Amino acid sequence: MAEFWTPEWMEFAFMRRALVATTALSASIAPVGAFLVLRRLSLAGEAMAHAITPGIVIAFVVAGLSVGSLLIGGLIAGIGVAALTSLLARVTILRSDASLASLYLIALAVGITILSAAGSAVPLKSFLFGSILGIDNDSMILIGAVATITLCAFVVLLRPLIVSTLDPTFFESQSKNPQLIEQMFMLLVVLNLLAAFKTLGTLMAVGLMILPATSARYWSATITGQLLIGFAFCLGSCWAGLLISFYAPETPSGPCIVLVAGVIFVISLLFAPLGLRAGLKSVAAKTRARSSENVQQSKEIQHEIP
Amino acid sequence: MAAGVRKNTPAILNCDGLALGYPAHELAHGLQFHVQPGDVLAVVGHNGSGKTTFVKTVLGMRPPLAGTLSWPRGRPREIGYLAQLSEFDRRFPIKTRDLAAMGAWRGFGFRGRVDEATRARITMALEATGVAEVADQPIYTLSGGQLQRALFSRVIVQDAPLILLDEPFAAVDQRTEAQLLDVIDQWSAEGRGVILVVHDLSAVLDRCSHALLLGGGRGVYGAVDEVLTVQNLVAQGYMSESQAAWAPRIYRGTELEAGHG
Repeated sequence: MAEFWTPEWMEFAFMRRALVATTALSASIAPVGAFLVLRRLSLAGEAMAHAITPGIVIAFVVAGLSVGSLLIGGLIAGIGVAALTSLLARVTILRSDASLASLYLIALAVGITILSAAGSAVPLKSFLFGSILGIDNDSMILIGAVATITLCAFVVLLRPLIVSTLDPTFFESQSKNPQLIEQMFMLLVVLNLLAAFKTLGTLMAVGLMILPATSARYWSATITGQLLIGFAFCLGSCWAGLLISFYAPETPSGPCIVLVAGVIFVISLLFAPLGLRAGLKSVAAKTRARSSENVQQSKEIQHEIP
Repeated sequence: MAAGVRKNTPAILNCDGLALGYPAHELAHGLQFHVQPGDVLAVVGHNGSGKTTFVKTVLGMRPPLAGTLSWPRGRPREIGYLAQLSEFDRRFPIKTRDLAAMGAWRGFGFRGRVDEATRARITMALEATGVAEVADQPIYTLSGGQLQRALFSRVIVQDAPLILLDEPFAAVDQRTEAQLLDVIDQWSAEGRGVILVVHDLSAVLDRCSHALLLGGGRGVYGAVDEVLTVQNLVAQGYMSESQAAWAPRIYRGTELEAGHG
């Protein structure tokens, strides 16, 4: 009888591993994504996801699919690009967004060129877009470790992150080392991107950070609400995406997960209390207020003209 | 206003020969002033005169190029600070009460809970600035004036002996400005020092005891009436002589005399 109720995908160890791994990943990536959005760094996160590619590729070519070497390679590339971006923004005419955009494009091109030249045994598609088959025990340990580090870090960083995101100048005036929070947060971003790499691929990893966080903004006006809803959306996207990828084996897991997150975003936009309807109402109210102000002013002017 | 009446009490802040700016670009030098309990010091200057750098230097966010900032009563644990509204994220998902509570952030640190006394202080601050009725609303629903009053609540909660306000009236209406000026008067009466950075000369300056006029790489400090004269404003590059000629009264009835300067 029990066998009757067991879904087909539950019989596969890789699927069970993938579901456990993405549950831990969702707990870790949701708060990071929420603050990436709130700190207006969504595109910087996307760029950073691409920037770590050469590090991962070089580590893969040198040491194979070892989780340790991929982690070290990705960290070196991520920190290197972040440091170089900061240096270029400080000493040259380019702003940090332009510096980061230039560097991540170069990094991505270098990564893909090395991967192709090395004649990799791993298909390029699974490297860029992830594969549920890629989640082995080592990957699970990496995801578990990153989730533990991220959640412990958030216990300490949550308040400073809130203050520094809301009012950076006030935070700078209150803190002895304000840059430390920014640096630690970016380190968490890179760690989570690396943890998500096997499931989602380098191109899709940041999608799981951004889309659930932006969807959650439409549902809640408090930071706690956004963190919890963001986690629920992350988890829902991962589980649904993995199942789609399981039943459509030609489809990599990364795009499936991000596509589900995208559907959640559109539903949130259309139906959430702070979504499109609220926005349109607010715009209409402002327009009405402005036009009634104009009518009032023209009446006053007409009154003044003898 | 308790301005300048506590001559025998030690100053909160003494500034001696202060030079502001960046290593390759000095903005002002030789600044000499002090802030005593109850003083309300207006810092006035044209764009680029160094007002923002002055704020950052007093807050310790930038080192002075030369000179010293000394704290005869000991450096306060914190300085009450209100940045310009343009630097603030108005869409952040936080309630008005939590915004005010941020003033006590250093008190409850990374994880501690807000105790009853602090909670009472936050409620009192919200009432003092007239935003208690919107305490549980998200800040993005507040008007510009309400938001500025909520930020004043945060400064009240900070309970600091020295308060630094950077362009606090730039985006508020006259009614809000009057309410916030009353809060500044209250701070002065409580013996706190207030530094008010303003760009425009306005009625706000009536509430200030002293002024520091920045411009032309130097600063003029003294009582408001003595510092904010047409002659000084023209000499410090705040306005041109032709602009001054069109202004019948610049400050407190100071009569413009043709050919001054």
